[in-house]
Formats: sequence, structure tokens, C-alpha cells
Amino acid sequence: MAVFVEVDHIDRVFKMPKGGEYIALKNIDLQIHKGEFVSLVGHSGCGKSTLLNILAGLDQPSNGGVVLEGRQVTEPGPDRMVVFQNYSLLPWLTVRENIALAVDQVMQKHPRPVRDRMIDHHIELVGLQKAASKRPGEISGGMKQRVAIARALAIRPKLLLLDEPFGALDALTRGGLQEQLMQICQENDVTCVMVTHDVDEALLLSDRIVLMTNGPEAHVGQIVDVPFPRPRERMEVVKHPNYYSLRNEIVYFLNQQKRAKLHKAKPAVAMAANGLEKVNLELGFIPLVDCAPLVVAKEKGLFEAHGLSNVTLNREPSWNAIADGVTSQRLDAAMMVAGMPLGITLGYGNQKPMPMVSALTLSRSGNAITFSKRLFDAGVRSLADFKANLDRRPDRVHTLAAVHPTSMHNLLLRYWLASGGIDPDRDVSVTVIPPAQMVSTLKAGSIDGYCVGEPWNARAVAEGVGVVMATDRDIWPGHIEKVLGVTEAWAEQYPKTHVALVKALLEACEYCDDPRNRGEIAALLARPEYVGADEAHIRQGFLDPYDRGDGSQPEAALNYIQFFTGQANYPDVSEVVWMMTQMARWGITPFPRNWLAVAERVKRGDIFGQAARELGLLDIGRDRHTSELFDGIVFDPNEPLAYLEKFAIKRDLRIEEVPMDAVGIL
Amino acid sequence: MPVTQEPFLLLDNLSKIYPTPTGDFVVLDGIDLAVNEGEFVCVIGHSGCGKSTLLDMVAGFRQPTEGEVRLQTVPIREPGPDRMVVFQNYSLLPWLTAYENIYLGVNSVFPKKPEAAKKHIVMEHLEMVGLADVAHKKPGALSGGMKQRVCIARALALRPKVLILDEPFGALDPITREELQEELLKIWQDHQITVLMITHDIDEALFLSDRIVMMTNGPAAKVGEVMPVPFARPRDRARIMEDPRFYELRNEALDFLYHRYAHDDT
Repeated sequence: MAVFVEVDHIDRVFKMPKGGEYIALKNIDLQIHKGEFVSLVGHSGCGKSTLLNILAGLDQPSNGGVVLEGRQVTEPGPDRMVVFQNYSLLPWLTVRENIALAVDQVMQKHPRPVRDRMIDHHIELVGLQKAASKRPGEISGGMKQRVAIARALAIRPKLLLLDEPFGALDALTRGGLQEQLMQICQENDVTCVMVTHDVDEALLLSDRIVLMTNGPEAHVGQIVDVPFPRPRERMEVVKHPNYYSLRNEIVYFLNQQKRAKLHKAKPAVAMAANGLEKVNLELGFIPLVDCAPLVVAKEKGLFEAHGLSNVTLNREPSWNAIADGVTSQRLDAAMMVAGMPLGITLGYGNQKPMPMVSALTLSRSGNAITFSKRLFDAGVRSLADFKANLDRRPDRVHTLAAVHPTSMHNLLLRYWLASGGIDPDRDVSVTVIPPAQMVSTLKAGSIDGYCVGEPWNARAVAEGVGVVMATDRDIWPGHIEKVLGVTEAWAEQYPKTHVALVKALLEACEYCDDPRNRGEIAALLARPEYVGADEAHIRQGFLDPYDRGDGSQPEAALNYIQFFTGQANYPDVSEVVWMMTQMARWGITPFPRNWLAVAERVKRGDIFGQAARELGLLDIGRDRHTSELFDGIVFDPNEPLAYLEKFAIKRDLRIEEVPMDAVGIL
Repeated sequence: MPVTQEPFLLLDNLSKIYPTPTGDFVVLDGIDLAVNEGEFVCVIGHSGCGKSTLLDMVAGFRQPTEGEVRLQTVPIREPGPDRMVVFQNYSLLPWLTAYENIYLGVNSVFPKKPEAAKKHIVMEHLEMVGLADVAHKKPGALSGGMKQRVCIARALALRPKVLILDEPFGALDPITREELQEELLKIWQDHQITVLMITHDIDEALFLSDRIVMMTNGPAAKVGEVMPVPFARPRDRARIMEDPRFYELRNEALDFLYHRYAHDDT
């Protein structure tokens, strides 16, 4: 698609009255396609309206420029119409006269009857025939805004610019107008840019949402693609499996911006003490049963015992928030899904690569694949049944969810599906949803199943909405699951702190694997500041027999989740190579030509070894070893590419050299 | 007062009918609602569904055509300091400072209290909303969020039994709105006050209230559905956002408002 509007590296600098300057916008670069609906979202004062004014030609950028269909925008013109929040109708003219004024001005060359038809057509478009001869003072706010939209569209602009058009209306009138605007844009192929602070509005209307950072020097923080099919209907949009995860992502971005504003006031300074470089640590965790080592280290005083006297645990809303928190230095370290340190190092999802380090594996196994009760009731008891069900119903798209692209949930779910002849990208849709939203999304029927850790499988079973199809024990018992992750720069800056942190968590892991402690830990995890779930759901598979919800007897869940036994904690290079093959298999990251160098740089057995020795524990690592999953295909970490050859279902392999010394040094 | 099973605040078969030349215009048609002491109830519905008429009758600004509102079994006939209202548009006197705006109410309700006690009440409530520093600024020098804080302080300074809020945060930007919601919850918790609040914002209602009363469209609006909000208190916004029930309730409310009682503004 050709670029319709090109916003080319715009800066907007205002001269201050007392000297000096204020940089409102910095380096805004954005391409808009014809017929596209783009929303600009950000906090007050982030320069959204300034950007809109520049697009309208009402304001000029200090650097860079705007090109509309190959012509630079330098002044306002009828090819770009703006609708403002406050309607700006002339109060002494009727609805019809307000619209006629604009049409007569712009379309002078057209004969009167043509202009009249134009005016009537647009009054009809917004459904105001009955109010055509009323003045603005006699009609409601929603009707006034419809007049403003009709006036803007009547002169056939190439680009419709909307500055919080519905901001002054009550939320419910707003709802009706949003639907009307959506329909008009769809039918007339209008290209729109809208400023709004209403996240639901942006999601309903937009093809893309541009999230702006706070000013000064506001820039594009993130662009969210909105994948809902058109034509859209509000309730269907809300029920789309990704609706609430996109909404939460945007709300999260806005909250981070708000926090960043407060943060600037009091920067966290490293406090050195007890022979460590930094004893005040912000650690991130996700409310899941396997956050137990962090909770135990905190509650049992193990952080303090190793000199980390000021550790705060931060309960994070999603794995994206964890990744973002550690790379932006808001968090010192975090519990991460197994593939995240590798994924960030390789720059998953087109992000800038940043070297990460993991010196400790926190847990092994503990996941399950749950399918909806509906599929179970339709006779789906196994992977083969699911395949048969898909073959019978090629018209229906089944959606399955995992928690993060780099998580074992995603990699194992895809592996499991592919082993049954189901292509996870073509035969079904695999989407990303945060753990805590899995059960409600399944219940709403917008997904058909998921792979997640506990207590979210147990909860689906308890609520009667899901049935466990497979657990880790059926797929790959004892696989790596959660790890401690820090940036390499952090590890280099605080080496002694890093060892102390590994020691505290290693002791906590040992504590977690003593069956005598599990009852106490389950009660701790149930507390609202940690997992905040029903203790009975937490105990499933952690302590109590595991109920799959398929009518079978709950089975004793020996080693369903492991924290310590069997050299669980050693940062295992073989496993990271396995994850490399699977992330490359599904196109999540390229496969690094220098794969061994990358794997050894991420997995720091030396730091683990030092921590283990200082605790008097065995520091012998795991040798590089072969692994075999349930399908009997053997993985040899010395031959990763040969392993990839064995799979029939896979994406095109990208093999790239990852220049480890050049990537993202802080 | 006799021992009674009657709820704290009772809207008993409330109707409001305006006679017009072409016949009666029924705004509200038989509203029944019982509010317990200390409860936080949100009323949600489309424009023109008579929500504000409803609040006006609880406040005593208007009288119902049929039925009555009783607070602790006493029928409401007129406005009184036991029911304070906070409006969206602040309604502070622009020529008085924040302190003076609050003092005006305190002085008229508690005229016999010693000056020091009155002063103490005013300052205590300004502190409660974090505005002690700007006590001597006039509304024109305060932000929208600060003005609304003054209004809340002014209402609570009169120790009402029921706090009535008519879209109090509707005019505020979303971040300030969230901050004020959190403050309001804390104040409600500390004061154990009964709150009746009108809002358009489903997220706000789910975050704040114990129950959401959803009204059908006017004319002749009724209580369509009452949704209990089960989240434990004290509430934490992030925690609610990850509760599966939040999404179920939100979708149910959206469905009520946009499907079953869709609005047609023509």
C-alpha cells in the first residue's frame, strides 16, 4: 500500500517568553496509508494536539515536514478538515446553513443544485434531517458534533482530523457517534487521524494506535496494531480474544508514562552496604505458583541473610511488563519465562537486541494445556481428536493462547500441536494473553484453549469451563520453566549483588522443594500481595493430587513442579539451544549462526557456580546433554540445525550472525 | 426511633410524571431501590434516562409524583445537610477561597460551634483531600481535580449520612480521574459513609461500587438490572484488572447499555 501521509521526522520547538526553548515534539516519524484510521493516544501535554495541528497545517514543525499525497503541507486547506471537541459551529446559523457555508466556500464552481444535494446528503449521512433548520443552541451536544462531522465531510477532504471529537459528550452518546463515524469512514474510504484519551474508543475505531510518550520531547513510544476484522461491531470487538490484552497493554503504557513522570522526581540511587554494590533491589514477579522462590526468599528473610537488606517485590501485570521493566532499568531483576533472556538478547518481535544474563533456573515444569469444556463435550479427548475436529470444521478458526512469545508455554504448545500434524500458524491461531486473563477469555468463548502455569488450569477445571488435555509430564517432564533474568550491563555493574541474589534464591528454591514446607508456601502464595488466588487452586499439583477435569481420578502430582531437586537450578546451555531452535522454527527470532557463543553468554554457569560453592552446595553443572520429548525425536545440542531439519511443520529459517559485542551496550 | 427492618435509604416505588399539553410525560416509572448503610452504589444509564431526576429526589430538590424516598424511615421532603451533593461542574463560589467555600457550609450547618471548632473542621477536611497548602486560593487558581476535591471536602465537612455524587469526575482527564477515584474510595472507607453516585463510566462503577444499578432508557425509565460487584476491599485497581470477573462484568454492563438498551439520540 502506498504511503498517503508521510510525517517525516518532525520536531516542534517553542521559544519560551523568558528565553530558552521547550521541545514539545521530538523526531516524530509516521506513515499513514489511504483509508487507514490512526489514533494518537497519550497523556495531557504529550503534544498529540500539536501533532494534529501540524497535520492540519495550522502549525508548522521546527524540523522535518508533512507530505500529503506527494505535496508538502504548509498551510490549512480543504483537503484536510479538522473536527474539534467544542463543535465550533456558528451559533446564529442553522444546522443546514452551517454546512452550506463550508460547501459554498469550497465548491464555488459547482452549480447550486449540486451543492444542495451535497449538503442534504451529508445531513442525511449523520441522520439530522429533522434538525436541519434548528440552531446549535437548540440541539444536544451529540447532535452538534454530528453537524461538525457532516460539515467536515461535505467538502470531501482527503484527510479527516479529529481532536477528541467526543470528549465533551457523555460516554453513551459517544458510543452511538463512534459507531456512526466508523460506518461513514468505512463507506466513504476516509483516511482519519484522531486524538483521543479513550482507550476503548481507540480500539474500536483504529487500525493502528500510536502511543505518545510524555512531553517535553514527546515521541512515538509504541505503535499498536489493532487486528479486529471490519466491519466492526462493538460487542464483537470486545469479545475478540485480544481485546483485553491490547487494552491492558495500552493502559499499562499510559500508567508507565504516569509513573515515569513521578519517577523523575526521585531517582533510585544504588545503596551499597554489607560488602555489596547495591542492596536496594526492585524485583519483578508474575502472580503464578512458580513465583514461590521469590516469595519465600522475601518472607523467610533469605534476602537479608545474604546482605540484600532492602528488596521490594513488584507484582507485574504481564510478561511484557517484566521485559520492559528490566530493560528500562525500572526493575533490577525479575522472574522470567525461560526464553525471555535469550529472546531479548536476540531482539524478538523486532525490538532492539539487548544482552541478557540468567545465572539461575528458578523452576521446572508446572504447565498444562487446557481446552474448553465445549471442545471436550464435542468429543475432543486427545490431540488426534482435535486434529479430526479441525478437519471436520475448516470454516471455523480455533484460537489458542500462550502467555508470551518466548515462553515455554508458547514453544511447547506449538511443538505439541505440530507433533499432531497441526500447523500452529495456519490451522489454528495462537495468540498471546496474560495468565490472569486466560480463564475469563476461555469462559467468554473467545479462545478455545491455552497453555499456562498454575493456578490458571486448576481454576478453569474448578469453574467447569476447561479440561486439561496434557501436562508437562505428558510432553517434557522437568523442562526449564522460570529463570532469574537481569541485563548483562546490570550483572557487570553489580557482580557481588548478583551472586548474593542467586544465593538467596537458590536457598529459597531448596526450601520450596521440601514437601514439609509446601503447605506453608501455598498459604503464603494465596495472600493477595502475591498470587491472590484460592489456596485450594494453588495446592493443585503443588501439594494435592492434580485434577484434570476429564472425569478421571485426580493423580498424585509428584514433581509436577520442581524448584531444586535434580540439579534443577543450573543454567543449562543445552536447554537454551533447544529454545533457540524452537524460536527460530516459528520465526520468533532468527537462529544465530554463532549459537554457542550466544547461549554461553546468556547462561552464566560461572555465576551460579560461585553462588553454589559459597553456600556449600554442589556446583557441578549439567553437561551438554541430549533431550527427548514425548514424540521420541532426540535433540542433540551439538546439532541444532540437524534437529530443525527433522520437523515437517516449520517456518522459513532465518540464520543470522548476532554480533555479540556490538549489541545494545547501555 | 422504632426498631425496623427497613433499609437505611429506601427509594420506594418512585415515579416522576410531568403533565404536558399532550398528556403526561413519565420520566421515572416505579423505581425501587434499597441502599444499606455504608454501601457504595453506582447508577448508570443513558442520557435522559432520569438518573439526575432520581438523585434530585434523594437530595430533596424535587418531589416524586408517586412513592417516596425514606432515609432511616424518615420521608425526604426537602434538601438537608444529611444528604450532600457533589456536581460535575464544581459549583464553588468563585470569589471565595477554598477555605471560605467550605467554611460557608460549616458555618450555616453548625452555627453554634465555637469558631476554633469550625476552623478545625474546615482544615481537617482540606487536609483529608490534600489541599491544606492551597486553602487560601480561589477556585480560578485551582485545577479541575483540585476544585472537585474542594467540593468533596465541602460536602463531607457537614457530616452527611449520604453522599450524593452526580458524575463528579466526568470533566476530568483520565489520570486525574483515577487519582480522585482512589482518594474517594479511601475517604469512603475511612468515613463509613453511604454513597450514591451517578456515572457513565463502567470501569469507574466497577472499581468503586458494591452494586451497579443499571437504568433502562427514558421516558418511563425503570431499574433494569442490579449488578453486585464482588471485588474484595480494600480495592486495588491493578488487582481488579487481572480478575477474570472484571471482564465478565464489564462485558455484561456493555451489553446492557449498547445492546439491550441502545441509545438513539435523534
